[in-house]
Amino acid sequence: MKPFDIIIVGGGGAGLYAAMEAMKTNPSLNIAVLSKVYPNRSHTSAAQGGANAALANTAKDDSVELHIFDTIKGSDYLADQDAAEVLCTEAPKIIRELDNMGTPWSRLDDKTIAQRPFGGAGRPRCCYCADKTGHTILQTLYEQCLKKGVVFFNEYLALNLSVKGSRSKGLIAMDIKTGKIEAFTARTVIFATGGYAKMYWNRSSNALGNSGDGQAIAYRAGIPLKDMEFVQFHPTGLRKSGLLVTEGARGEGGYLVNSLGERFMSRYAPEKMELGPRDLVSRSIETEILQGRGFDSPAGKYVHLDLTHLGADLIRQRLPQIREMSMYFEGVDPIEEPIPVRPTAHYSMGGIDTDNQGRTVMEGVYAAGECACVSVHGANRLGGNSLLDILVFGRIAGHTAAEEARSFEPGNITDAELKEHAEEIRSYMQPSGHYERYGALREELGHTLGTNVGIYREASLLRKGIEEIAALRERFKKVRVFDSSDVFNTNLLQVLELRNMLDLSETVAAGAYAREESRGSHTRTDFPTRDDGKWHKHTMATLVDGKLELGEKPVTMGRYELQERTY
Amino acid sequence: MTVSSEQHIEGKRDVTFRVFRLNPQVDSKPYFDDYTIPVERGITVLRALNYIKENIDASVSYRVFCQAGICGSCGMRINGISKLACTTQVWDELPKCREAGIIKIEPLRNLPLLKDLIVDMDPLVGKMKHYRNWVESSMPEPEMGKKEFLVSEEEFSRYDKATDCILCASCVSECSILRANKEYVSPAVLLKSYRMNVDTRDSLHDVRLAELVQDHGVWDCTHCYRCQETCVKNIPIMEAIHGIREDAIECRGLKDTAGAKHAEAFMSDIEKKGKLVEATLPFRTNGVAWTVKNLLPMAVKMILKRRTPPPPPLVKSSKGMKQFREEFREMTEHVKDDHKTHNK
Ligand SMILES: Cc1cc2nc3c(=O)[nH]c(=O)nc-3n(C[C@H](O)[C@H](O)[C@H](O)COP(=O)(O)OP(=O)(O)OC[C@H]3O[C@@H](n4cnc5c(N)ncnc54)[C@H](O)[C@@H]3O)c2cc1C
Ligand code: SF4
Ligand code: SF4
Ligand code: FES
Repeated sequence: MKPFDIIIVGGGGAGLYAAMEAMKTNPSLNIAVLSKVYPNRSHTSAAQGGANAALANTAKDDSVELHIFDTIKGSDYLADQDAAEVLCTEAPKIIRELDNMGTPWSRLDDKTIAQRPFGGAGRPRCCYCADKTGHTILQTLYEQCLKKGVVFFNEYLALNLSVKGSRSKGLIAMDIKTGKIEAFTARTVIFATGGYAKMYWNRSSNALGNSGDGQAIAYRAGIPLKDMEFVQFHPTGLRKSGLLVTEGARGEGGYLVNSLGERFMSRYAPEKMELGPRDLVSRSIETEILQGRGFDSPAGKYVHLDLTHLGADLIRQRLPQIREMSMYFEGVDPIEEPIPVRPTAHYSMGGIDTDNQGRTVMEGVYAAGECACVSVHGANRLGGNSLLDILVFGRIAGHTAAEEARSFEPGNITDAELKEHAEEIRSYMQPSGHYERYGALREELGHTLGTNVGIYREASLLRKGIEEIAALRERFKKVRVFDSSDVFNTNLLQVLELRNMLDLSETVAAGAYAREESRGSHTRTDFPTRDDGKWHKHTMATLVDGKLELGEKPVTMGRYELQERTY
Repeated sequence: MTVSSEQHIEGKRDVTFRVFRLNPQVDSKPYFDDYTIPVERGITVLRALNYIKENIDASVSYRVFCQAGICGSCGMRINGISKLACTTQVWDELPKCREAGIIKIEPLRNLPLLKDLIVDMDPLVGKMKHYRNWVESSMPEPEMGKKEFLVSEEEFSRYDKATDCILCASCVSECSILRANKEYVSPAVLLKSYRMNVDTRDSLHDVRLAELVQDHGVWDCTHCYRCQETCVKNIPIMEAIHGIREDAIECRGLKDTAGAKHAEAFMSDIEKKGKLVEATLPFRTNGVAWTVKNLLPMAVKMILKRRTPPPPPLVKSSKGMKQFREEFREMTEHVKDDHKTHNK
């Protein structure tokens, strides 16, 4: 294969926007998108709520300024203020651009794009398409890419970067349909592989493939990761699958009830009760469970989200989706029984460290979307800001790579490198010395992260978590892939994804252990307050000689001074 | 349902999954493997497959991603019907088993098989490209991002439901024409084409329509309603198919295909007289079957819209006429039902 000018890894919102923008910037470039699932299957499709932009259609007094402020405050002042400014300034343009390309935004009476209120935003500025916003954005982008003739390598799994000195020569990937390891020599590579919250396994709302592959590949290649300890939890995930029950259920008057039959939110937020802010509700549920007032089941401990008192009519009319979810995935009809829920890992704020143009420290390597950390979300992402993030910074990264691609010489990926990868994969299939079951390792990783690196963190728990992760990584060396076929070996995929999650989980736990303060999504019971003197800075995790090294990076300030974050 | 409510109380039982297997590397023909596992109430078919893969046979292969019914990866045939494994409860399938306690799992039909439950989606993507399933914006690219299009609620509602499609290919798998003709456009692609054609921001309507009335296009559909009955998102796909046909007839310059020509005479008859006259009924030349599948649904729809009572076809009854009357009555019921369920 002839060398590519740009290889984009990932066909979610970030990857597709990057592809379109790169083609627009320089139509003569040889560009391809490589994705482990068909692009329209990417996790962007799961986003229901919407994307923020100060269009001022609904609230006439909204402004980009207000959006910037909400973003920075929401981030608990860990976002880089220049990056947040780019995000919010570009927002109206990008939402209109999507409209111009065919995204079916819901409309107001005056025929303009509709906007609704969303957590942490001072004005209703969340643009939406019913409850399928991410899905329709992704469809639009995929359709436009088909129109423009973007080259896709669908069902290819990126394995590693091929690196020479401080430069990338391209990508090594596996064709899932044939099992063949292939070289993608490229002047530039853009990672757009999405988040890593699936490491919390069935305590996560994410798709199975959100295993942080891009972050892990970058990390193994020596590129630093930033703020990995910040993982956002959503209060109400279904017990068995972690899938999200949206805020609507509580908005319509649902109760949270413990095993003693108490509406326990009266203890934590006597006025707002179930409608307190996300992080507070998550912590309250977790406390109930930790103090033994949860329900127990083989799938783990949980509390009840009770809608039965709302009556069949209201549930059928106003909450049909939530009822459907609960029946599909838990087999529980909320008209008759309460829904079993517990907090669920939802979004990863941390990721590959990039500048505002999408560049990483390695020449020719870029990143965008949930897998990158620019950082616009800091310690806590606002709802509706991450769809925006993937679009804005996806486009920027595509533009930068297109401008810079020709300044890099293409490298040469050797057959020896490919052979090495093929041999490693084959070794997982050898019976001798390989007996660890993937399912058990993955389950245990989810469990240790959930209990030791979860919502509440403290030194002793984190130390335990770090030890357990190290032990799991040791055991992984003996993991066995039981399916030995080349064609669509999904068992092998699971194992390779698990390896990435294991590599990254160490950075999450180590970052959480080091950060002796509470900020945004990171709550240390032993350091319950924000400590700006010591910790107003980013955590950097780099792999040096096979070992994790933690460093730091200052936060870029701007117009907004540090303030206490209260709502 | 009595069976399942007893099981509700019981809460747990053994279920056998009879899974279609074929690994093209080693198998010359497909076979079925039986896996019997304990299943508790509340478990989806997908979770059952995960259990089998993790605990019994790691080589069972299927696609899965979101596990939440939104990505469209896990379409497969469960007890003979194409649907999503991740949104299907094992308990709901038990009463539908042909052999008690055995749930049959097979790959989607009408797409090339790759392995076990995995089929190749490329042909579908190829058709989306062929029929230009994208909005060709009426706004020039340099102008993009500067201002919004204004879209009314009514204009939006024409394509709102169609954008629910997650390309799971369940409808493709059930389509009766596709079984015989793999080149047929496919229900999902008709749906998407329609969605683009009614979008006020699009400028490619005529080109798309011209392609849709060619061979393997919209006139090949038999109106069997299978696609719509199957759709995992309850999208009224037939509305789209009727819509494209009405559109094709109304559109000047596109009438040159045989289908459209007959259709026009037939429809204008109804339009002018509110009734059918045997003399102009095209089944003389095209046969009853053709007329029924291609024209009746539209005619019935037009009549229903106008609220004129379905007109009895005039003139003396011949054998063809009798059959036609029967089909007419049946189709009227179908379309009426459709209106009831899907009208906003
Ligand atoms: C349930 C849920 C609801 C949400 N709701 C909202 C909301 O309302 N508003 C909002 O702003 N945000 C929301 N989010 C967050 C938002 O959806 C995501 O942050 C965003 O979609 C991520 O987009 P992305 O393009 O970065 O990655 P993704 O869409 O995850 O795409 C990643 C791509 O990378 C590919 N890939 C990954 N690894 C590899 C590999 N090794 N080789 C090849 N390809 C690979 C995948 O195939 C995929 O195409 C929600 C998230 C969840 C889970
Ligand atoms: S109605 Fe038409 S498109 Fe739908 S399944 Fe039948 S033949 Fe196929
Ligand atoms: S129309 Fe329905 S069944 Fe067909 S692909 Fe779309 S969602 Fe699936
Ligand atoms: S796994 Fe995504 S729809 Fe079933």
